[in-house]
Amino acid sequence: MLNIYQTNKVRIISASQESVDTKLLRLEFIDSEIKKNFHFLPGQFVQIGLPGWGECPISICSSPNDSETFFELAIRDIGVLTNKLNSLSAGDCVDIRGPFGNGFDVDLFKGKPLLLVGGGCGFVPLRPLIIDYLAGRLESKTLQILYGCASEETMLFKKNHAAWNRRAELKVILEKPSTNWKGDRGLVTDLLGRIKISAQTVAVLVGPPVMYRFVIKELKHKKLSDENIILSLEKRMHCGIGVCQHCAIGPFYVCKDGPVFRWLDIKDYYSL
Amino acid sequence: MNNEIQVFLNKLSEEFFLFAPQQDGAVINIKEVRDIGDVDWSGRMPTNTWKALFLPAREKMFDISDGRLVKSKTSQPKIAAIGVNVVDLKALTLLELVFSRDVYYQERRCNTLIIGYSSSWPNDYKKYKIFSHNFEEDILEHLIFDIFIAQFAVGRMKIYSGSEKGQHILEEGGIKDYEHIEFAGPISEKGPDKKMLLLKKKMESSQGKRIWHELNKICIACGKCSINCPTCFCFDLEDSVDPDNPERVRKWGSCFYNDFSLVAGGGKELDTVSKKIFFWYYHKFVRIPFEYMMPGCVGCGRCSKVCPVGIKIEEVLKKV
Repeated sequence: MLNIYQTNKVRIISASQESVDTKLLRLEFIDSEIKKNFHFLPGQFVQIGLPGWGECPISICSSPNDSETFFELAIRDIGVLTNKLNSLSAGDCVDIRGPFGNGFDVDLFKGKPLLLVGGGCGFVPLRPLIIDYLAGRLESKTLQILYGCASEETMLFKKNHAAWNRRAELKVILEKPSTNWKGDRGLVTDLLGRIKISAQTVAVLVGPPVMYRFVIKELKHKKLSDENIILSLEKRMHCGIGVCQHCAIGPFYVCKDGPVFRWLDIKDYYSL
Repeated sequence: MNNEIQVFLNKLSEEFFLFAPQQDGAVINIKEVRDIGDVDWSGRMPTNTWKALFLPAREKMFDISDGRLVKSKTSQPKIAAIGVNVVDLKALTLLELVFSRDVYYQERRCNTLIIGYSSSWPNDYKKYKIFSHNFEEDILEHLIFDIFIAQFAVGRMKIYSGSEKGQHILEEGGIKDYEHIEFAGPISEKGPDKKMLLLKKKMESSQGKRIWHELNKICIACGKCSINCPTCFCFDLEDSVDPDNPERVRKWGSCFYNDFSLVAGGGKELDTVSKKIFFWYYHKFVRIPFEYMMPGCVGCGRCSKVCPVGIKIEEVLKKV
């Protein structure tokens, strides 16, 4: 019988410092059959772990289009395991289970203006959507990206920002920037008030719970429907398959029924 | 218990470790059988549950060797769970569904024989509405068991098999006079349990009700109810840090414990006692019925008995 808890080994192709506390790991499965058959959707996650150190859920931040060659995880150093993972370098191996979760239903974006709102390290799962949009694989009408984080030091995917801004509209706002920062200062919700958002827009939000509270309020103000507000939630998880109960929200499991939910479906179970 | 069964169980003990309810001081506890004569056939509810035999409080999943997870080779002992009452069989039927894809549960289950038992009706049978139904069709068809012994009245008894394994063991044990019952799934032909649907509806709209604020002041979040509940199956996966014995284990979890919903960075969804106890009730009365169309509470009353501050589940349900 298949053991759903058995992990597979991946090799770190490269480990680059993405921000002061986050590393970008580019990974590939050692077993060529597994590597060939590893397919995922934007918004899905894997359980990454090291025997003896445990496992934790991390969203995949590369495009599904590259899945047969590599996939990427941005790991923020925040606990014992992530600290250990970030001490590894190219050639080292880690364990993976997954992919898990539903991912984004990109059909919902077809022909509509798409707004991505990311806060802090919550920005990570939005990257595959941006890459796919720029490559013409996402059929949304337009793409606006709002990204809020603490400072220049913690900003993610800096190298990509210029390219993203060419075909999409990217706005970054920093809460506590250095004196050299020329851009916006404040919270991501401050940006919402400054841009034009049509009522037909589909908004995808990923960030801390406090961000959801203010962003949803603002989007409702802009007349977005509950079915067009999409969230990706972060919860404690152990099994990844909807059994252990840690990630339950109302009748759903974030690991299995989520992490992506329409606001319409979870607003009764999620306290803002 | 009659002689035929005693002889059968004695023969069974040559192949299986027997576990059964037994008098243990003032209470009935499920424990290993040393003498068949010690088995309690009174039908009283045991204090502890059967779940530890199917889902151990701590089990090794993997050995860690050279940085790799190697599935634990420990072979599962052959265990016979004897005298499992109808209420506890309901709980095991639920576990069977929840862990249907779990190799550890399934390997253990392959080596476990479940022998259900009902004595003549319990004194407080009115609490258990199921006893007024047709026994074979309304009850036994919807429960997981290998063998079932029904004691209808003094001296009169009927034996059923519920699986091929059960049939085989009965035949080998010299018992030919039995009837086979094919498991027809956990849900009755008449549809899902009406009481379950009613409670689900009440629970779904109960958030913010006064009862949860009342419980916030009373409940001490000790988790005894979840440990003693036959259907509580939350678990944690954990790596042992013992350098001599590195392993990945699965341990019982409890939604009452502080780290249950803790995420990296310190955030916690269940940050009040009220939220924890609501989560517990919601799992039993909404989430399990939603997922499995089965009640998440089998009505054994263990949680009420063990609660150190006297929270009674039946009283809480009246107020939701």
